[in-house]
Amino acid sequence: MQPSLSFEQAPPVSVPFRFFLTAPLFGVGAGLLLLWQGGDVFISRWSPVALALTHLLALGFMLQAMCGALLQMLPVVVGANIWRPRTVAALTHGGLTLGSVLLVAGFLSESPWLFRLAAPVLGVGLGTFIVVVLIALIRTSARSPTVLALRLAVGGLAITLALGVTLASAFGWNFSLPLVELTHLHAAWGLLGWSLILVMGVALLVVPMFQLTPPYRPTLARGLPLGLAALLVLWSLALLWQWFLPARLFAVLTALLLATFGGVTLRLQAQRRRKIVEPTLLFWRAAMIALIAAAALAVVQWSVPAVGDYSGTSFLLAALMIVGMFPAVISGMLYKIVPFLNWMHLQNLGKPGPAVPNMKQMIPESRMRLQFRLHLAALLLCLLAVAWPPLAYGAGLALVASFGLLEWNLITGVRLYVRYQRALAAKA
Amino acid sequence: MGAQHVVDGRGLLPPEPLELALAALDKLQADDELLVLLYCEPHPLYGVLDQNGYRHRTETRPDGTVEVHIRKAG
Repeated sequence: MQPSLSFEQAPPVSVPFRFFLTAPLFGVGAGLLLLWQGGDVFISRWSPVALALTHLLALGFMLQAMCGALLQMLPVVVGANIWRPRTVAALTHGGLTLGSVLLVAGFLSESPWLFRLAAPVLGVGLGTFIVVVLIALIRTSARSPTVLALRLAVGGLAITLALGVTLASAFGWNFSLPLVELTHLHAAWGLLGWSLILVMGVALLVVPMFQLTPPYRPTLARGLPLGLAALLVLWSLALLWQWFLPARLFAVLTALLLATFGGVTLRLQAQRRRKIVEPTLLFWRAAMIALIAAAALAVVQWSVPAVGDYSGTSFLLAALMIVGMFPAVISGMLYKIVPFLNWMHLQNLGKPGPAVPNMKQMIPESRMRLQFRLHLAALLLCLLAVAWPPLAYGAGLALVASFGLLEWNLITGVRLYVRYQRALAAKA
Repeated sequence: MGAQHVVDGRGLLPPEPLELALAALDKLQADDELLVLLYCEPHPLYGVLDQNGYRHRTETRPDGTVEVHIRKAG
């Protein structure tokens, strides 16, 4: 029997789905760029092609998926209602998609005009998102560690956006700024202050919920996101005031905190009550291993001059984080979120009609596992290509295959929703 | 005094606890109470309850178990 109650609190399903279906296309774009440029990408982290590649993954894929997930998550998970979700989704999705394309095209063509267009488009799209989500997070009565982490993360996104718009404006209007320092700050706040704190906040909730593990200890649940935000603030101030020794100390402490988060999550997963190995667990596990590896490499980089001086080190770190870690978490989560949204919204359509399918039947598990293997292959090839650039073509191909299959898997889930929605509507 | 029905969602994978709670709500009589046991606060369930004429009270046990006591409103 279908329950007859409604879930009108959740935003319309079109709100998150548009982000989820757009995001992997930028990942495919990153693979195509690698196939086009080959090993030349690894000449310098400051090269326009390397910056274009980074933004295809970090802005086009990661941020797109994360914004969609957050808009969908807030009402369901922390009971925070979003103001006019359709309007906010349209502005955010439109701004992010167009802004990402303009920015990447700007890097590749080195045309100031494209940066002049990208800066306000991204500023308005993401600025709207930040304001609306922060208001929802401040107004919610929920007081869980996840709410704290989400508030910190959105604050981190605001800093990342301000720095990014400043940098894009500097490229567009050619005014003089300390670009290297601003770029370090922009990257650190984007990857850690926003993305990683968001992942922590989500992990606190979904690792115990979906993997049936014991909960994170309360001190860690609050301490990890708060500690990371505090360390980033201290590191940023030290960098701006050119206190290099304290900056190095805060950076090492940050790396230790990241490794602690990764280690604790792996330990909890090892203690899960049902010893089932399903795709989301695999993705989370791989992500945490990549995070610990990145933290270890960062510490080695600061301790061993030869590693620090090696130009490939920053590419290895970038590969571990924006090819390995974040896309793994995002893929694993999308494989839970899309079936859950399908289930919830189909329930909402009510009876009578065909029974809503089981969540596990919505995307074939074999295809999720195949995408996991392709993801690992892409990461491995990206890491190896840093040392041997001809492998960049293989890495590009693996990225296209991995993100392409992710897209196809998500389309499968969305098509199933549409099919059942029509069948239920026809019977009603 | 009505009967108390219990849905223990601890140790179940989402959305199973919610499915069981919704099925139990459909059968709930006027004086009955439904007790849902979970490890997290079920905000989607709260939305359903508020919009469909149920009142609820939530308590947290020392072991982290969230108890949601549900009755028909009025």
